[in-house]
Amino acid sequence: MKRISRHLRLGFLISGVTMILVGAAIFTSGTEAEKLTQPAFQSSVQDKPTNDYCLSCHSQRGLNKPLPDGETLSLYIDPTLFKQSVHSQENLACVDCHTNISTYPHPTYQPNTIRDITLQLYTSCKNCHAPEYGKTLDSVHQQALSVGNFNAAVCTDCHNPHQQTRMTDPKTGQLLPSVRLSIPQTCARCHSVIYDQYKGSVHGEALTQNNPDVPTCIDCHGVHNIQSPVSVRFHNDTPELCAKCHSNPDIMNKYGISTQVLNTYVSDFHGTTVTIFEQISPDTPTNKPVCTDCHGVHDIGWVNDPATGIAIKQNLLPKCQRCHPSVTSANFTEAWMDHYIASPTQYPLVFYVNLFYALLIPAVIGGMLVFVIADFVRRAIGDRKGTKS
Amino acid sequence: MANQTPLSPRRRTYARFSLSARLQHLLMLLSFTTLAITGLAQKFALNPVSLTIIEIWGGVDNLRWTHHAAATVLMLVAIYHVLEVSYKIYVLHLPMTMLPSLQDLWDAWAAFSYNIGLSKSRPQMGRYTFEEKAEYWALVWGILIMGATGFMMWNPITTVKFLPGYFIPAAKAAHGAEAVLAVLAIIVWHMYGVHIKRFNQAMWTGKLTEAEMRHEHPLELADLKAGAGRTGETPALRRRKRIYYPAAVLASAVMLFAVFEFVHGEQTALVTIPPEMAANLIYVPETPTPLPPTSTATLAAIPTPTSLTWAGASTLFQARCATCHSAATASGGLDLSSYAGAMKGATDGAVITPGNSASSKLVQVQSSGQHFATFSADELAFIKKWIDEGAPEK
Repeated sequence: MKRISRHLRLGFLISGVTMILVGAAIFTSGTEAEKLTQPAFQSSVQDKPTNDYCLSCHSQRGLNKPLPDGETLSLYIDPTLFKQSVHSQENLACVDCHTNISTYPHPTYQPNTIRDITLQLYTSCKNCHAPEYGKTLDSVHQQALSVGNFNAAVCTDCHNPHQQTRMTDPKTGQLLPSVRLSIPQTCARCHSVIYDQYKGSVHGEALTQNNPDVPTCIDCHGVHNIQSPVSVRFHNDTPELCAKCHSNPDIMNKYGISTQVLNTYVSDFHGTTVTIFEQISPDTPTNKPVCTDCHGVHDIGWVNDPATGIAIKQNLLPKCQRCHPSVTSANFTEAWMDHYIASPTQYPLVFYVNLFYALLIPAVIGGMLVFVIADFVRRAIGDRKGTKS
Repeated sequence: MANQTPLSPRRRTYARFSLSARLQHLLMLLSFTTLAITGLAQKFALNPVSLTIIEIWGGVDNLRWTHHAAATVLMLVAIYHVLEVSYKIYVLHLPMTMLPSLQDLWDAWAAFSYNIGLSKSRPQMGRYTFEEKAEYWALVWGILIMGATGFMMWNPITTVKFLPGYFIPAAKAAHGAEAVLAVLAIIVWHMYGVHIKRFNQAMWTGKLTEAEMRHEHPLELADLKAGAGRTGETPALRRRKRIYYPAAVLASAVMLFAVFEFVHGEQTALVTIPPEMAANLIYVPETPTPLPPTSTATLAAIPTPTSLTWAGASTLFQARCATCHSAATASGGLDLSSYAGAMKGATDGAVITPGNSASSKLVQVQSSGQHFATFSADELAFIKKWIDEGAPEK
């Protein structure tokens, strides 16, 4: 009973505050001139407590609230970090997000765990960030959450609303370079094992050296509407995904990496098959490998690394054996042309077979055509003359 | 062979292709066409036409299965043909009319000369014209190349036991190019020779009229009229048959086993193990848990006072409560910055009942955990003791 009445009171309070806010919004909507000068995210609430009023208590270290499940909820907000945050700089008020609070004492509120609080409060992000919030509804995180995995990330897990600084250049809408470099650390908070693999990869290593050319997590997985990377569709789409960068000479020429990796893959048996699946039935599983099946996923290494690089036969062989277990000879790895285009120096047999047929086909078919056309013309003339040839 | 009753050359017919030959042609026609469609769709897989074909076929796996099935049919036809030809040559001692010779080169040149007007007459040819020989031997060459390269692609693991790995992509290149050559040759040479030049129905009816024979195979016609090729059942023939049949059974057993191995021997190149998903631990939060990132703050330690007077209590009130409950802020009307204010209490009544900490609202609220700023256990114990002592000022 006690719990229910508490919920009822909270409900009344929220609806009451909402009505006040709506009323205030209607009341103030006439002052157009004033609104134009206000920042985009300015709340329409005029009569609200200042952030300094809130911080007079919440900037005190040690402002804690014990929770029933034994956790201690810190109510401390670091004023320095908060003032640097994009929300503070855009003049958002604490109560723009904490809409059920307007003064002290606060309405009674008794969550069981810290996670409860996060899950109850994060939806207020959608008031200003509707497009991003909408995308998250399609994400794997939201899917996990909806089946009861409360560890799944919500907005505030990646973007601490009290500290999040500006992420994009307001003019271009592009991610700021410093933000890009920090993305893997954000994901690492929950995906630490994967982050450790990434850190040691060619991509991760370069990123830690501030190289902007390499992909971070979101370049492959997307952001906000992150899709399952273990789906059939993701597998079939992988070559196109990698090719976004690996077919781009502006990036690859800097490192002397071939931009023919997609072409050569697609013209090979495995790549042709995967591409057919991708084109006709992207949700049908195929057992043919994509880039990541040989090169690795988060731990992609240099192909020339003596210990792990798959340009070396002995290192490639185990990759072949994953799908072709009866292969015993490293000889088999040469059936895959290592993304090379056949030339007199690379895969000469293939090159000369192609050359042989490039000469043979026109010679044979051309000869046949000459003969056939001569015969056809001779008969046409004979028919006209009425002679039986 | 020839009809005995005298008929006009247009109606008198000569047997040209046996039922067996016509059946082989039919099976080859069907398997070749199937192989061409399903094969070229794979060679030019990303062409929109090919993709449509693959889609109609119900996916590339079905298409490949069909290609392999048609290849198997063609191999069986080829084996049957080898057995039949060896019977004709060894047992029947029939002349090897299909063998190419220098005469064929001369005939080809003569035909071309006639067509371009350099000579007045067409070459006279026998049972098989140079056009037919060219097509037959092109087919033999094509089946050998396609069979060998097809084997390498179908059985790559077996192949690399005997050959370097790069033979597999080379086989793929040859298989595809040879296919283009074969299909173009059929379209140009075969189409023209037996469909456009004159619709030759001998492969279906098995017969040619005497007029057609005279026009296309005059030398053979002359031989037939002279009565060549007629042999009876002689002892020598029976002896050859006795040798041929066991040898043919043995040879076909070997060849059929070879085809079975070709088709069935190696499955992992086709039915592969699906790539396993990396056993990644997806959710492994960093430790110490960085969420929420602000939760590291703790109560700043202040020494618990010793003197059970306002002087002692006020150090705690000053440290823990003054932000909200000072003379200036006096949240809820409560001012804990002076003894008088503390004793007066909040707007709704006293918070300290001297001598009875249990009934003091300040202690009740602090003990409940509902007030967000709290004393530590030691500090609250000191405040309780001070109140129980009567909350003395001095």
